[in-house]
Order: sequence, then structure tokens, then C-alpha cells
Amino acid sequence: MELLLQTFIDGLLMGGLIIIIGVGFSLCFGVMHIVDFAVGEWVMLGAYTGWLMVRYFGHDAMFYLPVIFIIFSALGWVIYPVILQVVSGKRFNPAIMGLIFTFGLSITMKGGALTVWGYHIQSVPTWLTGKTLYLGPLTIPGLRVSGFFFGILVTLLLLAFLYKSRYGNVIRATAMDRDTANLLGADVRKVGAVVYSLYAGITAMSGALIGALFSVHSVMGAKYTMLAFFVVVLAGMGYVPGVIPAAIILGLLQSFVSVYIGGRFNLAALFLVMYGVLLITPKGIFRRGW
Amino acid sequence: MKRLSIFALITLAIFMVGYAQAQEKRDFFKIGVVTSLSGELAFGGSVTKRGYDMWEDAVNAAGGIDIAGKKYKVKLVYADDQSTPATAAVAGERLITEEKVDFILGPYASGTTLALAPICEKYKVPHITGSAESPLVWLKKFKYTFGTIPPVNLGPRSAIQTLTQDVTPKPQTIAILGIDDAFSKFSAEAMKAAAEKAGIKVLKYEIVPEGSDYTPSVTAIKSLKPDIFAMGNHEKAAIEMIKIAKELKFNPKAYVQHYGMSTPDFRKGLGKDIEYVFGISYWTENMKIQSTGLFKNPKEFADTIRKKFNVDPDYTEAGCAAAGIAFQEALRAIKAAPPLTEAQKDALIGALEKLDIGTFYGRVKFATEGDAYHANAGLESVTLQYQGGKLTEVGPPKTRVALPKYPAPPWDKR
Amino acid sequence: MELQAANPKTLRSSLVWRLTVFILLLVICFIFPWIVSPLWLRIGTEVVMWAGLAQSFNIICGYTGRLDFGHGAFFGIGAYVTGMTMTLLGWPFGLGLLVSGIVSALLALAIGYPTLRLRGAYFAIATWSMGELIRQIATILDITGGAFGLQLPAVLNLPYFYYIMLLVTGLTYLTTYLLVEKARFGYKLLAIREDEDAAEMVGVNTASTKNWAFALSAFFPGVLGGIYAYWVTYIHPDSVLGGQITDVMCVMAFLGGIGSLWGPFLGAIVVQLIQRVLWVVWGEGTFYLVIIGVTICAVILFIPNGLVGLLEGTGLFSPRESVNELRKKIKW
Repeated sequence: MELLLQTFIDGLLMGGLIIIIGVGFSLCFGVMHIVDFAVGEWVMLGAYTGWLMVRYFGHDAMFYLPVIFIIFSALGWVIYPVILQVVSGKRFNPAIMGLIFTFGLSITMKGGALTVWGYHIQSVPTWLTGKTLYLGPLTIPGLRVSGFFFGILVTLLLLAFLYKSRYGNVIRATAMDRDTANLLGADVRKVGAVVYSLYAGITAMSGALIGALFSVHSVMGAKYTMLAFFVVVLAGMGYVPGVIPAAIILGLLQSFVSVYIGGRFNLAALFLVMYGVLLITPKGIFRRGW
Repeated sequence: MKRLSIFALITLAIFMVGYAQAQEKRDFFKIGVVTSLSGELAFGGSVTKRGYDMWEDAVNAAGGIDIAGKKYKVKLVYADDQSTPATAAVAGERLITEEKVDFILGPYASGTTLALAPICEKYKVPHITGSAESPLVWLKKFKYTFGTIPPVNLGPRSAIQTLTQDVTPKPQTIAILGIDDAFSKFSAEAMKAAAEKAGIKVLKYEIVPEGSDYTPSVTAIKSLKPDIFAMGNHEKAAIEMIKIAKELKFNPKAYVQHYGMSTPDFRKGLGKDIEYVFGISYWTENMKIQSTGLFKNPKEFADTIRKKFNVDPDYTEAGCAAAGIAFQEALRAIKAAPPLTEAQKDALIGALEKLDIGTFYGRVKFATEGDAYHANAGLESVTLQYQGGKLTEVGPPKTRVALPKYPAPPWDKR
Repeated sequence: MELQAANPKTLRSSLVWRLTVFILLLVICFIFPWIVSPLWLRIGTEVVMWAGLAQSFNIICGYTGRLDFGHGAFFGIGAYVTGMTMTLLGWPFGLGLLVSGIVSALLALAIGYPTLRLRGAYFAIATWSMGELIRQIATILDITGGAFGLQLPAVLNLPYFYYIMLLVTGLTYLTTYLLVEKARFGYKLLAIREDEDAAEMVGVNTASTKNWAFALSAFFPGVLGGIYAYWVTYIHPDSVLGGQITDVMCVMAFLGGIGSLWGPFLGAIVVQLIQRVLWVVWGEGTFYLVIIGVTICAVILFIPNGLVGLLEGTGLFSPRESVNELRKKIKW
């Protein structure tokens, strides 16, 4: 019984970390219909930036999360026009071109990280490292719990922004019907830029958190790209509220498969489920995807 | 269409560039090195490079290899295998046919060694790897390939032996967590075999893919309360597993890990948490070995590496330098001067098989039959443990410098 | 847009010129092993293999318009099938190759049947996850050697492998030319690529056409994978089923010119040579990734028709359809 509960908690917390990445990614797809293959690399860059800041300026890694958000939002703002150029325009197949372009970006980022920082693994200590919560027989790592709640918090903030604020309405309108929104006065280009920068900032910030939790490594991106895809496929591409339950399902799946079936089948189970969902309900389990 | 044709002709020209080169006369030994200078194993590759470079420097500092009274310097020519077997094969081909090297010093990883070995067989070029540990390499019985490190399926045995023979109360149970990659799995299996042989009950033997989150596996292991938690992996996964163990407050009485616990990255990644972790090695700088060849004793080698590269050496660096020394001694035995002819290369194989030398690394004697064909049968592994932040030899009894510390105190009490 | 071949006289002379170059290239390809050193022969064999792989990717992506991000899995499957039939069953190499190709094609049909309903990004992600799943299966199963990989008997006859690779790649290009460029099958694919629903409405059986294209595109990597296994003698899940195989195929096809017959060939030469030259000259392996990444971004941005588009003088941003029509007229 105790093992069951602990497995459940582990899974919950594992999923919690992925929520933020999924949220940004889903939003980006929902509004701009771009699947960003470089999502894992944004995570990696955020992690490295967090590490660098702690290294050169001291203080705790958690302190820099907002800073990283700002830096990468700015970066996203700058890159967006290029992506827009690729995705619009009459050529071979804009959707595929967009995919390949972000794929190219991911290779560049990974290659850059490898060239500059090599294959060494870096650790980012924070005051939360090693702090554990005890709940009866259950052991709950402090850092993961914080990650979980942080993820929920950011998601709720984002959802509040999207559903309650005026500009959030504009964004959702653009997601639903770009042309009509344009006709009704929304600056569609600017909306896209805002969304992309939000996405870049949030994803990089979660990267810094993940860097503190696990470790920072040039090739860590691939793993998070895969997890982001899984969450967004399950939730439905573009359906942001679906990300929370989808991420939790991801965590629980990994946890239970590892403990009760066997660790070897961990990743295989993930891919199998992802493939299955795409075949059976491509719009996600809530059927609200794009 | 003209542009396309011109492009085609330029391509043609590039292909013609690789045309034959002339044979040169030289008075130094030209040695090819295939190792991972890039790719995911670049890390391990750089360790081997340090070892080989150290040997090159030391030999040249002494004037060169002494062949029948005349000294010949050595020059290493590197070719990166990019951590992939296919490139290792191309690299070998390039070193042998273009650079016309006398012999080859081998890669970091077993996979790349497996692809390189047939190339050396084909061209009949002697090849020693200072690092590859997988038993698979030796099972193939390559005539021209040797290794200075014993196969990994024998290594972890000593750690388990120390834990069964030299500590009280004797551990009864063990759980093993390994990574699903060629090397780590052998490591994990070796631990399992050693545990079973020593009468320790294996509560759980789990292999997980690299890159997954290890938390659930560690959770499952924790719930079984094993006395020993053994890991067959590389340092990256090991760092994560131990961090997770700490977070989950999993307190086995001993941690055992192979391979990577002796590397600087492991120490940097875990900081104070490395304390009490057991591992194995074939060589440490504190060993009491005396040698008449290059590097009088392990300490001298370690000091030289620290001075030049500012890192603490691991047994892989030592194994690589020892590979160079093995070639050196074999060359002296057959009195061969560079450039080596076909006949001399063959004679070199014979000399290597007869070799039985003591070096700063320990004894080097290549097996000439059995499953570990051409691997170094002259070395036994020793058990290490981190005590006070330093890697200390705690077994076997006749060579150890300190007693193993067991059980490890729970995380809260450290 | 300028039509260089407006004048029949220049059309004929440029045809002669092109034919000469083509024949010259063919001759070089045949005598290649005897005129270069073993190192360059190895590199040449690699280039030929990648040219075939990139073209197979082109069939499903360039001509049919489906981005298959798991295409490398067929290469790995071919490698493993040949490896296993040779080591476990003791079958001869040629038979193993044939089985590899057929197994890959059958698998493609099986996967394609449910998956080809998806489009665009969904298809890309689905095929990607299928590819990764296959890699996990290969690692988990013991019969494939698991993480230890598979070792094949070593036969070191470089020219032999070169010619086999050349043969299979040549077949790939020939098949593409005959079935996709010239036959009605190809027109159907283009129709599906440009507007699938419209194609369905004018009577094209899109489901079956797509499936056959997918199977065709899987057959060749399967065979090439089998050759690769025997050539390198050691395979394991990361080296033949890893994502990097698809990545490289994709980059080569796009760089050379997606949707064109010779694009993948050009792309394969350029990318593989860049990689090898950087390796020989710089001893470097990671900066090459940056170069490739930047190149692919630049290609998408500025020359979406790839190098072929550039060399054909169709310039930047030209619509693909007109190029197709033009090429049909000039018969390249």
C-alpha cells in the first residue's frame, strides 16, 4: 500500500514538472499552428543560463527564474518574425517548412551548446536541494514539490491571463479564427509575437528549474521535446487547460510502469501510448485539440 | 543546366583529391589513435587522450623508444571516431592507408572498438585499446587486437567480495539498477553474478533506458529495503540516481557503482554526497607499485597528469599509458625500427602475446586463450570507497590502506 | 520566369551537354573503387548509401507531402533483419537483404494503414513516436542482442560493398524516376501532396496510393540498412535506430531539393562531404551540427527548393508547380 501511494506521489510530481513546458508548447501551437521541434532545446538553454548566472553572480538559482523568463521572452520576440516568414508564404508546404525550420533551430542550439560547453554535466544547487517532506510513510522531495506547485501556479496565471484579461481574449480569438480576428482589428502579427515570446520565456524558465532538479547537459533537450510532445498530444494540440491532466497522466504512467511492470518498458510504454492516442483520438483525450 | 554540370565536375574533382600518397622514410614511430573526440562519448575519449598523450610526452622526454641502442621518438596521430562505430571504421582505414601508421592505440568505447578491430585484422596492424572493457570484444578472438583493461564482467566482483568478507554485519540482500546500454548492462550483470556467487540475495535486478526518470525505480528498490544498492551505469546516471536516493531518503547500508565513481565529474556532481560510495578500479595512484619503466610509481604518473592537465587521473588514463608501454616493450623485444614492415607487425603480435611486464599500472600480460582472449589477465580489481572525500583502497586485505566503512549512515545523520 | 530552353537549338545542345555529363558521372561511379584510396572509397560508399536514404525519404516527403520523422527506423529494421537472419538463421547475405527490404515494406504497409490518415504535424509526431518505439523494442528484446547490439561476421572487401550500395541506390533512383516522375503513380502522389481532398474527389484512391508510396519508400532503406550492417559488422539500437538517421536524411533531402529527383543526391554529397572534411581537417564533430542547423534554416528561409532549385536557375521563392511542369517539358 505504501509503495502504491509513493508511486502515485512520484508520478504526480514527475508530471508536475512537465506541465509548464506543455503549457507553453500547446499555446504556441494553438495560436500559430507551429510545432516547435526546438522546445527541448529552449529547456536546455534555460537550464544553462540558470547555471551560468549562479556561477557568475552567486545567489540561489530560484532567484533567477524571472530573469530567465525575461531574457528568453526577448529572444522569442526577436526570432518570431523569422518563423512567421517561414510559415506564411506560398511555397512547398508551409506547415512542414515550419517544422523543418524549428528542427533546424534545435540542431543549431544543440550543436552550439555542445561546442561551447561540451558534454560535461553540470549541477545547479539551490536551497531546496535535499530538503524532504515527510507525510506519514511517504517521502516527498522538496524540490519536486516546489516544481509541481510552481508549474501549477504559472499555468493558472497563464490561464487567468488568457481567459480573464482583454488581451487574452484577443489571443484566444486569433487561435480560433485568425482571419476573422484580423478583420475585427486584432494585430495578428503582434499576437503571434507575444505568444511566441511567452512560450520561449516560460519554457526556458522551466528549464532552469529542471536544471536545478536534475542536471544540466547539452543533450538533455531531446528528452523534454519527447515529453512535451506526449503531453500536448494527449491534451490535444492547442488546448491549454488539458495540459495539467495530461502531464499528470504522463507522470503516473511512467511511475506505475516503472514500478509494477519494469523499468525497461518505461519509454516504450510512453511511445506506444502516444502513437495510440494519435491514431484513436488525434484531437487529444478531451477531443478539444486543433 | 550548365551550372549543374559544373557542380558535377567540381564534385568529381573533390573525389580525385583522395588519390594515393607516397611511402615515406622516417626515423620516428608514427602511431594512430582512434578515440571519441566528439559525440556523446567525447568525455571518455578525452580521458583516453590524456593517457595516450602522457605516454607520448614521457617517452619522448626520455629520448624515445630504445631499439637496439638507437632511440626513436614517437608521434601520435589522432582520428576522431565521433562515438559511432561506422566512423571508427573509417578512422581506422584513414590512419592505416593514408597516414600509414605503424600501429594503433584504441578507442574509449567497446562499440567503436568492435568496429575498428576488423579493420586492424584486415590490414594486419597491431592494436591495443587502453579502455574498452566489454567482454564482447574478446569473444571475437581478434588476432591483432589487445586490451590493457580486464573485461568488465570480472571487475565488480571485488567490491562484492569486500562487502561479504570484510564487513560486519555481513549484508544479506542487494538490489541492482543498471542502464540499458552495452557497457552498463555488463556491469550490472557482473554485480548480479558476483552477488549470487557470494550468497547475497538479489532482491531486484532492474535495467532502465538511459534518459528516463529513475525515481520510480529507486522508489521500488527502496520499498524492498536492500542492504546494498548497486548501480551499473556511467557517472551521469549515477549522479542522478544517488541524488534521487537522497531525496527519497533511501538509506541502503552501502552504495556500489561502476563505472564512473572515480571520475572528477562524479565528484563535482555530488559534492559531499559521494561519501561512502564503493566502486572498483584496476589502479589507483596510491597503490604500492614500483616500476623500472616509464613512471616509477603510480604517484609519479598522477602528479604528472595533475601538473599538465589539472585533473586527477582515473584507471583509464593509466590503462592507456600502459598500452603505449606495452607496445614499447614489445618493440624492444623484436628490435624493430620505424617504419614497421608487414613482417615486423606480425612479429609484434607474437611479442605482445609473450609479454609479461610490470608497469606503474600493474602487471600487463595478455591472455592467449579463453573468453578473454588478448585482454589483460594480469590485473585484479581492487575495491575503492570514498572516505573523507578521498578515494581510498579498502580491499583486498593485503593491499588496502583502510578498512571499509560500513554501514553508511542515513542521509539525515551526515 | 525565364525559360532557358525557348530555342529548340539550344534545347538540343544543352541536352547533349547534360547527357555527356551524366554518362561521365556514371562512368566515374563505376570505376570509382579503382581510382581512389580505401579511405575515400569508404567515404564514397557512405555518400552513395545516404543518397539512397535521402531519396527514399524524398518519396514519402517530397512527392507525397508527408513528413515522416521516423523514417530512419526502416533503415534500422533492415539492418537488424539482415543481421539476425545471417547470425541466427545462417542465411546468405543476398537473401537477408531481400528479406530486409520486404519486411520493411510490409511494416510500412502495416503502420501506414492507420497512420497515413493523419496529416502534417500529426503524421510527423506519430511516425516519430513509432520510430522511437521500435528503437525501444530493439533494446528490450534479447533476440536482437538488446543493448549489446549485434555482431556480424567480418568480410572486408570494400569494392564489393561499394558496388552493392551503388546498385541499390541506383535502383532507388531508377524506381523513383520511372514510378514517380514518369508514371501516373507519380502524378497521383503530387495530387495528394498539393490537395488531398481534391485528389480524392477526382477519383484518386488516396488511401491505397499513399500506402504504396510509403511501402516503396520503406523498401530501399531496409535493403540499404542490411548492407550497412554487413559492412560495418557491428550494429546496436543507437547506431541504426537512433533519431539521427532520420535527421540526416531529412537535412540532405531538403538541402538538395525536396521533391526533385536529383536533390537528395546533391544533398547527400554536400552534407556528407562537409561532415567528413570537417572531421579530417578539424578533427571536430560538434561544430558541424551548428553548420548543418544554420544551413537547414537558411535553406528553408531562402532557397526552399534546395540546391537543385538554385542550380536550375529557378531562383528564389519560385512556386513548385511551375518547376514541375517545366521539368516535364525539358525531361530532366
